[in-house]
Amino acid sequence: MLKGIGASEGFGIGKVMIVEEKKLEYTPHAVNDIDAEKQRYADAVAAFIEETKEQAAALRVSAGDKEAEIMEGHIGIINDPGMKMSVDGLIEGGNCAEAATEQTLDMFIGIFSATDDEMTQQRASDLKDIKNALLSILLGINEVKISEAPAGTVLVAKEVTPSMTAGINKDNIVGIITETGSQTSHSAILARAMEIPAVLSVPNALSQLSSGEQVIVDGTNGEIVTAPSEAEITDYTARRDAFLREKRELEMFRGRRTQSASGEEYELCCNIGSPKDAGKAIAADGEGVGLFRTEFLFMDRTALPTEDEQFEAYKAAAVILKGKPLIIRTLDIGGDKEIPYLGLEKEENPFMGFRAIRYCLKNREMFKSQIKAILRASAFGDVRIMFPLITAVEELREGKALVEEAKEYLRASGIAFNENIPVGVMTETAASGVIADLLAKEADFFSIGTNDLTGYTMACDRGNSDVSYLYSPFQPSVLRMIKSIIENAVKAGIPVGMCGEAAANPMMIPLLMSFGLTEFSVSAVSVLKVRKNIAKWTKAEADAVAEKVMIV
Amino acid sequence: MVSKQLTIINAQGFHMRPAQMFTAAMGKYSSDVTIKFNGKDVNGKSLLNIIPACIKCGSNIEIVCNGADENEALAEAVAMIENGFGE
Repeated sequence: MLKGIGASEGFGIGKVMIVEEKKLEYTPHAVNDIDAEKQRYADAVAAFIEETKEQAAALRVSAGDKEAEIMEGHIGIINDPGMKMSVDGLIEGGNCAEAATEQTLDMFIGIFSATDDEMTQQRASDLKDIKNALLSILLGINEVKISEAPAGTVLVAKEVTPSMTAGINKDNIVGIITETGSQTSHSAILARAMEIPAVLSVPNALSQLSSGEQVIVDGTNGEIVTAPSEAEITDYTARRDAFLREKRELEMFRGRRTQSASGEEYELCCNIGSPKDAGKAIAADGEGVGLFRTEFLFMDRTALPTEDEQFEAYKAAAVILKGKPLIIRTLDIGGDKEIPYLGLEKEENPFMGFRAIRYCLKNREMFKSQIKAILRASAFGDVRIMFPLITAVEELREGKALVEEAKEYLRASGIAFNENIPVGVMTETAASGVIADLLAKEADFFSIGTNDLTGYTMACDRGNSDVSYLYSPFQPSVLRMIKSIIENAVKAGIPVGMCGEAAANPMMIPLLMSFGLTEFSVSAVSVLKVRKNIAKWTKAEADAVAEKVMIV
Repeated sequence: MVSKQLTIINAQGFHMRPAQMFTAAMGKYSSDVTIKFNGKDVNGKSLLNIIPACIKCGSNIEIVCNGADENEALAEAVAMIENGFGE
């Protein structure tokens, strides 16, 4: 039995598939037979084209024509006469095919990146993909294809990256095991979003497990049963079925109002990370979006997104939500979220450093273009603006002043927007908790981000396993912080939500109901569960629980 | 050698998809195809040359074809650009 962190509930029984990212390293070697080396390159190109055609055909089915065409464009690039000329020239100069490929593509990547055209700069990432694919073919490194995993596969990897997720077929992957990560890491969030049982932070999982062996993934308890006996398989099959049955029972809460057993109503929204997720929020019966993370627009690219590009994304989400609330959080970079082209310097202490609203207030043009894009989207739905990481009233004031400036500009240009767009604070720092009364006077709403609030209040890095025992929203200090934030919002008469993981915690829910929270924002898969949990409690019962808990 | 001056009318300009269509079409001819733009000569058969040239909507360019099938090459190039790459 291996132990880890249960990060996505459920039980999966299947066969291990190890996914390792191989390093594309080689030692450049001198070439004697130039024609043979050119042929090696030509063979690699032929293999690449065949592979790419297959991927394009698969993408056409799973993602549509547009994505497939981008993939097919890679064939055009590799067939480009300029490319072949450069590679052949380098081989003739005595370079091996690997070095010739790398130098040629790096040259073109340099040319593309040096233009002042954003779309061209983005294409440099296609060239990088091509370079990596060609090098793996030349080096004979076979990348394991997740998309081709057979039914009943348990993925085992160091971590689940977004590019890996693209290949995951939910019907075939029955479990995920990783060596790193925690409840709130990217791998966990992805696994939960796909409803695949996952156990993370299993030490040396890659060396302890081997491809093809049978395992049981118990994502509920964070355990992996290796070489399971027949009795264990029977037992876990029963548990899996019971788990799935309970899930079906949750379906009974679909389409119902979110209310306590005594009739108090609450708003139950979703946290999303892209316009597409807005559709998932609706499909999950969410009543709106309590947190739209905008980082996706800024990541995996080489230059800032334009105002228009942002506007299209925000508008798309607003349109999907058809008038339901959409809280858009302004850019929250820094900390663990790095964006190379912003040129942020490495910091001693990134979580306490130059990030989120602090970065945005120092880079006003960038910030204003995001605010303008959000304002323009507000003409298409109930859009609200939220600033992350507020620690002082001045930051809120400065942000609001920029919103006013952006409004002025749009007004003068005759562009439609909502004049009364609410501007709120993500209360996720100890500072914002302590001055919640002051912030409540000037903010239109609060949303409590419990993940960072817990980390900052406890001065504890959730990713560090030596101190992670301290990381709990149930620590008295964090509970007092949450209570004070909610009570100050209620006193000021502004709505107060929670968009951290804790909002979906069944033990936290009665406390939040008692404190006076007005909105729960959770991941799409948790919506029905949270609605069921809220319906369990009368206000009086929740108050009684809260009173006992807060005696501490 | 034959040539013609043109203005790019499609919204995307000579970006990925149009450039792909264009280079694929020009690749069929034995003639050299050059796009003169902004004082530079761009190889009309090379995607990797055309894209970083950043030829946008409204840009004025000259297409120059030189070789045995230059007339046919020029005619197809002009037709593609004038109908905005079917956008």
